[in-house]
Amino acid sequence: MISNPELTADSLQPAKLTPTPRPRLRAKRPARALLLALVAITGYTLTTLAPHGVDLGAASLTFLRNLRLMFLQPHLGQETFAQLSQALLLTVALALLTTLIGAGLAFFLALITARNLAPRSLGDVMRSVMALIRAVPTILWVLVYATVIGLGTEAAVVGLSFHSVAYLTKAFAEAIEEVPKEKLDALRASGAGFWLTVRHAVWPLVRQRLLAWTFIRFEINFANAVAVGAAAGTGGIGYYLFMASAFYFDFQEVGLIVLMILVFAAGLEMIAVRMRKSLLTGN
Amino acid sequence: MLSVRHLTKTYPNGKKGLQDVSFTAAPGTVTAVIGPSGAGKTTLLRSLNRLITPEQGTVTLGDQELRGADAQALRQARRQIGMIFQDYNLIEPLSALENVLQGCLGQKRLLPGVLGLYTKAETSHALALLDEVGLRAYAAQKTRDLSGGQKQRVGIARALMQDPKVLLCDEPIASLDPQSTRTVMTIIADLAKARNLIVVMNLHQVGIAREFADHIVGVNAGRIVFDDNAAALTELAAAAIYEKEATALA
Repeated sequence: MISNPELTADSLQPAKLTPTPRPRLRAKRPARALLLALVAITGYTLTTLAPHGVDLGAASLTFLRNLRLMFLQPHLGQETFAQLSQALLLTVALALLTTLIGAGLAFFLALITARNLAPRSLGDVMRSVMALIRAVPTILWVLVYATVIGLGTEAAVVGLSFHSVAYLTKAFAEAIEEVPKEKLDALRASGAGFWLTVRHAVWPLVRQRLLAWTFIRFEINFANAVAVGAAAGTGGIGYYLFMASAFYFDFQEVGLIVLMILVFAAGLEMIAVRMRKSLLTGN
Repeated sequence: MLSVRHLTKTYPNGKKGLQDVSFTAAPGTVTAVIGPSGAGKTTLLRSLNRLITPEQGTVTLGDQELRGADAQALRQARRQIGMIFQDYNLIEPLSALENVLQGCLGQKRLLPGVLGLYTKAETSHALALLDEVGLRAYAAQKTRDLSGGQKQRVGIARALMQDPKVLLCDEPIASLDPQSTRTVMTIIADLAKARNLIVVMNLHQVGIAREFADHIVGVNAGRIVFDDNAAALTELAAAAIYEKEATALA
């Protein structure tokens, strides 16, 4: 006898195969609605954003003419080519200095962050601090230091280095963590201390990767150094770019400066590609 | 003499790595530690130079006790204990010679050690050791380009560079082909006799252990279930070491 009222003949039948809801479609529904809303808002804005007094056709033509002026007819303006080259060198020097400071400090900090070398608790603290520093953009760190030190090169050096340290510490620590513990054990087992183990087991195995990361950071710091030239009064090519565009509206000089930066950046990229290749082939 | 007494190691997850393990190993002999996977062979070997620290027991080399040694004393003791590994653990971007030279780092001062400045005597010694293991011609070759057997021989030369009293071998032939296995085992057995070394070696192959070892220690579930001369290891005794029931019997 069935005492449980729920256990009726019907309930004892094999369960009917009811179609299960499709979660993927369900999840897509709000996204689709959001997309539609955004399209509607964009459409409405574009049609109602009447550029009073602005002839869009003429404006587009002027824009293209300015682009042509910038990139097809670059020309010197207020400054000589020597001045601009010197400014570019200053920006490169700023990027190089901050990268070297960052890489030097980051190497030692990475040793107390990597899980295979440092105590876990210390590594976790370091990781959190570095994540916190990285979360604030480089340019903001420069401005933060500018309020303490004052606008200028010093604030740029400290700010750029500060973010570089946090960025490279994470990258270096992750590279070091890829060294198998057994390789470290082999040296420890022979009586070698911490520094000898780092120098003779860690360094030969990670140096190429550290160099590659340092180079990537140099590229980032070069871009940042151009930006802080204008934003933090550091000087360099960024300052002249700012003056040529915002003060003199000299598109030809802006074009020349941008092309100078592009040529240098392309050179950096070529070196980076070679380094990546050598890293992949292990040479 | 290397003397191990009542060694006990429990891992944080509660697993018993070693339970009251005691044995002795004499100079000029090869002691093979055999047993099934997970029996505690590697834990035992790594406890001997304290790459793993046991909670209880003693490891005595001559008159020096290792388990309770402070950091300085431990480093000094480790200089007398060479070690070779299943996966060689060489620094592969470096040459065979540079890897062998690393064996003397434990005896070097910090600055010359960090700068990698080796004396002429050290370099000559390293080259002589490469000669001894038959790899003199490969001294300048990057170790990543060597075969497994050659890598293991570089590992042996690196361990000998310490001029050790003890040679610990953690599964030294597990990654080698039969021919390299015999070459490496012959080199190790000959070295034990020629240099009066205490060799303690983890092995999987019972036949190899019988052939090359003087003394065999059988381990199962962290306990010693056999400790006798190699000749005393009968088929029945070997089967008992590898049987799961042996755990219960022990």
